[in-house]
Amino acid sequence: MMSSIFVMAEHRNQALADISLQTLSKGRQLADQAQTELLAVVIGKDTTAYAEQVAKWADRVIAVKNDRLEEPLAEPYQKILALLIKERKPKIVLMGHTSLAMDLAPPLSVELEVPLATDCTDISLQNGDVIVTRSIHNGKLNAAYSFAPCETVIITGRVGEFPIEEGNRHGQIEEIDFPLEEEFNYKKFEGYVAQEVGGVDITQAEVLVSVGRGIKEKENIEMVQKLAEVLGGEVSCSRPVVDYGWLPSERQVGLSGKTVKPKLYLALAISGAFQHVVGMKSAKMTVAINKDAGAPIFKVANFGIVDDLFKIVPILTRKIAELKDD
Amino acid sequence: MDIIACIKRVPDTSEADAIKIDSSQRDIEKSGLAFKINDWDEYALEAAVQIKEKLGGTLTAVTVGSQEWNDILRRALAMGADTGIRIDHDVASEDPHIVALILKTVIQRLPYDLVLFGAQSEDFGSGQLGAMVAEMLGIPHATLAVSLEARENKVHISRELEAGTLESYTIELPALLTIHTGINQPRYISLGGIKRAMRKELQVMSPNDLGLSVDMLIPMVKLERLELPSKGKGAELITGAPEEAAEQMAKTLKEAGIF
Amino acid sequence: MNLADYKYADIIHRCFRCGYCKFPVNWMDANNCPAYARFRMETYSCGGRLWLTRAWLSGEIDWSDHLAEILYSCTACKNCEVKCPLGFSVDILNMIIAAKAEMVESGRILSSVKEFLENIQRQGNPYGHSRVKRGEWLEGTGIEPYQGHDFLYYVGCVGSYDARAQEVARALGKVLQKAGVSFGVLGNDENCDGNEVNKLGEETLFEMLAEENVAQFKRLGIQKVVTLSPHSYNAMKNDYPRFNRGFDVMHYTQLLESLLSDGRLDVSGGFDAAVTYHDPCFLGRWNDEYEAARNVLAAIPGIQLIEMERNRDSTLCCGGGGGNFYIDLLGGSERSPARIRVREAHATKARILAVACPNCLTMLEDAVKAEGLEEELVVRDVSEIVAEACGIT
Repeated sequence: MMSSIFVMAEHRNQALADISLQTLSKGRQLADQAQTELLAVVIGKDTTAYAEQVAKWADRVIAVKNDRLEEPLAEPYQKILALLIKERKPKIVLMGHTSLAMDLAPPLSVELEVPLATDCTDISLQNGDVIVTRSIHNGKLNAAYSFAPCETVIITGRVGEFPIEEGNRHGQIEEIDFPLEEEFNYKKFEGYVAQEVGGVDITQAEVLVSVGRGIKEKENIEMVQKLAEVLGGEVSCSRPVVDYGWLPSERQVGLSGKTVKPKLYLALAISGAFQHVVGMKSAKMTVAINKDAGAPIFKVANFGIVDDLFKIVPILTRKIAELKDD
Repeated sequence: MDIIACIKRVPDTSEADAIKIDSSQRDIEKSGLAFKINDWDEYALEAAVQIKEKLGGTLTAVTVGSQEWNDILRRALAMGADTGIRIDHDVASEDPHIVALILKTVIQRLPYDLVLFGAQSEDFGSGQLGAMVAEMLGIPHATLAVSLEARENKVHISRELEAGTLESYTIELPALLTIHTGINQPRYISLGGIKRAMRKELQVMSPNDLGLSVDMLIPMVKLERLELPSKGKGAELITGAPEEAAEQMAKTLKEAGIF
Repeated sequence: MNLADYKYADIIHRCFRCGYCKFPVNWMDANNCPAYARFRMETYSCGGRLWLTRAWLSGEIDWSDHLAEILYSCTACKNCEVKCPLGFSVDILNMIIAAKAEMVESGRILSSVKEFLENIQRQGNPYGHSRVKRGEWLEGTGIEPYQGHDFLYYVGCVGSYDARAQEVARALGKVLQKAGVSFGVLGNDENCDGNEVNKLGEETLFEMLAEENVAQFKRLGIQKVVTLSPHSYNAMKNDYPRFNRGFDVMHYTQLLESLLSDGRLDVSGGFDAAVTYHDPCFLGRWNDEYEAARNVLAAIPGIQLIEMERNRDSTLCCGGGGGNFYIDLLGGSERSPARIRVREAHATKARILAVACPNCLTMLEDAVKAEGLEEELVVRDVSEIVAEACGIT
């Protein structure tokens, strides 16, 4: 029989992170399949409330508390998890592929000398072996991985891949006041920096005309602005446009930007990389214009034109204006 | 300040609308593809060069790969690195843990205050390498840095969280950082620059030279096979010359009640 | 940046801002510098750029995106050089290009220019499309790969990859086939001619491209080259000799001119339309070739050739040179030179705007659409007009 499955649940802004509900759901499914225990771990300053939520999925919950855990450093998380894993030897340790996980999972795997697979889109059990799937090359290929024989594997799951299934258990909660003698004073947390608030809240727009790297120059955004105006919407963008300094970060849609749910999301020269799509896939209608017929955006769009945005956009703007006048 | 920047060579698949899986089912067809420095690594190199320009010191670019990978070291040298080091090892679908072990072994022989990696690679995107190497070296680390200010014995960074928030840290050196895109504007590397950089030193060594034998490089994660993702429904494509396609699209939007 | 290291340090101060550089040769407008026409600021004229370059190199102003944009908005059309009344006029365009070269070496250039150059470094074309797609336009044409033919038909990047320009590449190919010319192409083995790379200041990349092309042509025993684009013609004619160019090069309009006068092309099918011809900068002002295309058009029955006021060495650049067909710094306004030119063509009452360059073709066609004149003015390449007159469908 497979030994237990751990899920580390994260919390943010006084709530359990969505990704953790996703990984709890996936963990529950795997635990049921392997007929083993799901153990959820929640770490923070005050984790009682989270533990009670998480107990709906888990057979057991370990709620770790310490005042110093209010700071977001990954190092104490690593220390705590390493101890728990050495103690309880789970077969799978699952967490979301988050900013925290990027700091935490690789060093944890090295410390424990166990394999790690990150940003996985699927996890399956085949004859007692764990197989994971990852999306590579800009979403154009999938890769399946297996692990060498080992006691534990660490897996981080991609945001938005595992559907949330409501939990209905009453897991046993164990609260631990974790002593943190170590100082970690080589790394000092200086605080959070909230995003600058400018004039625009793209999450409120009904129509978003979004540009990607293919816009080529800041000056070309004017053409996109005209299209947004004629549609009564706002201009948004993917990450590279912000990286180049062409639009402020408040207009960025995606994993590290905003999540939007407009009536229409018009993606211009946006390839549709996962980090972007995750921010707009709830749009009611998605239209993509891209020169690359193989761009992943065409998988999530309802309609598309495979052509150069510089050719299409001025004409589209004109046609819409004409139809509006009719 | 002595800086080490670790870089990777990746295929440019951004515009290729036909990536083919090769006969081994474990790699892609490379013919017809162009190669370049991984995007994230370019930002890391630029960050390293800017620190070197400001504070002085040395910059060493390191990579693990086969002979063709010399070209990315040449580019790093053209950007401002003083020395390039390649450890000759085929990293196709390699477990990042193995690459980390090799890098750790080479880095610990060099003087360093700061080690920089790109946050992840364009092809496999595991995002594991940098933080693994930090743990192996026993130095502090932070990933996804979007701002970086280096002083003589510490760095001040902000790193990116979900939904646009940033965390800021001050970290004592020596330390390792992985760099996210957008932190700077990587400079253009001219062919003249690459030619002049031919004078700079490019060392090649094998894992054996580092005391790493084959049985020390056994992967724990194995790539079983590559597959094309399922097609799914996909977008309904509007075809035709720009004039007709745009007109059709405008009509579609009107019918959908967008305006 | 160091003024002392700059190639033209001793003469850059000599512009005394007379403003002639903005006028066409025939003086009929004040806006014949395409960037000046677009932005209407002295900064964007040749004189303005020279003063800014001097200020930048002597440390008075810092590098900025805006400065780079000003420099790279120069399309290298040569209007300024032709108009400048001073003795150093022969170098003024070179001075702008040398200033761009300083930026290239410093690594700080516009991101679109960076992309343009990196794409050429990697894939041999500015679009970044795969090399293995370069020959796709050949499908179904029956055009042969070069193997000892009389001519190499050199297509260039725009003709190979741009969908509209590919039509012209095919049309010219068919015309040459009809005339029984012995020619072949390089297909996927063709590499960028480097003309724009040169005008963008990436000297070493240009050298590499020129050297490789010269060596490749030598290996294949190529003696005569006919180019689709005046840009390729210009680079090969004027810049390749210092790389030991061992072949002769002509622009296709020159070849068509001689085919017609030799009676090898039957254009009696005619082309019934009022046509105005737009002189491409790299054929006209750069290489003094104004008549070949006109003679070709004049030989076709039914064509009524109407001249725009700004013709021959007074031509207004379409705004596509200096890499601008890709980086497009002069677009986005009704003052874009391409749109001004289209309005000028339309005012002649011609129905056809004839071009002899694939860059002009794409720039002017997009401008016709932007002006909403698709029903009244059609852009056609000279080779397409000839093809129709020859009865080639």
